[in-house]
Amino acid sequence: MSMAAIEEELSDDERAGLELIRESGGIHQSDFWKELDVSSRKGSRIVDSLADKELIQREETIYEGHNTYHLTPAPRDLDFSLLMAGDQLSPFIGDEEVDARSDAFSQWVMSLAYNE
Amino acid sequence: MAFEDLLEDPVIQKYLHELVGPKGMPVAAAPPDGEVTDEELAEELGLELNDVRRALFILYENDLASYRRLRDEDSGWLTYLWTFKYENIPEKLEEEMHRLLDALEDRESYERDNEFYLCERCGIRFEFDEAMEFGFQCPECGDQVESMENTRLVDAMDERIATLRDELNVDHEREDAEA
Repeated sequence: MSMAAIEEELSDDERAGLELIRESGGIHQSDFWKELDVSSRKGSRIVDSLADKELIQREETIYEGHNTYHLTPAPRDLDFSLLMAGDQLSPFIGDEEVDARSDAFSQWVMSLAYNE
Repeated sequence: MAFEDLLEDPVIQKYLHELVGPKGMPVAAAPPDGEVTDEELAEELGLELNDVRRALFILYENDLASYRRLRDEDSGWLTYLWTFKYENIPEKLEEEMHRLLDALEDRESYERDNEFYLCERCGIRFEFDEAMEFGFQCPECGDQVESMENTRLVDAMDERIATLRDELNVDHEREDAEA
């Protein structure tokens, strides 16, 4: 199942939790449930579920003198081969401007239509 | 060597090659753990110092390497200590996927909204207005231009657009509403 499909099936609480972890870039579980305004038990259930789905990573740590987890978003495992058409890489890489009518892009699109 | 997993991906290899070129590739393909000087790299890889420096600065410009400078107390010379930042590659490629998606959407509507004519001899394509201006004759060779089917291009673009949107989690309903 794709990441997008997994995310679509999240409950509202799980989605809010995932957003919080992504936006913070990393947060301790003891702060997580407070920020999310849910009970610690509920917070931990949300974290379990997100970790099971591999949407986040957790690492044991000591924070403010307590054992807790540090929660970080899982690196998004994107399919970079979508930048390829046949054996051609997107012509926009390394260029500042994107010109959708350029010859280089025409060739890329031709390759997409006839070499894939 | 660091970042071995990333460097196994053929798209990432191609990406680095695109940035630094064939001469810079030995530098880009073998990032060491921790800090390294340009001289160390040149010696280790058996390359010209200039080629190593050029590759490192391209990586730096693309946020894939950073450096700090140390001044030798005695000689006053500056040493550059380089660190490879390949952990930024996935983020950079994600950005490239968004740029490609934008270009595909732009090009798809251009292809869909226009009629094209082709001079088969010269392989030149004209928009309807252009073709009409030339009396449907190729301005290069004088041959008659023929109406050109581009359904296959449009279909291929539609398919890649849908896959990219799904992969990048782009909400097209919202984008359509904004458009």
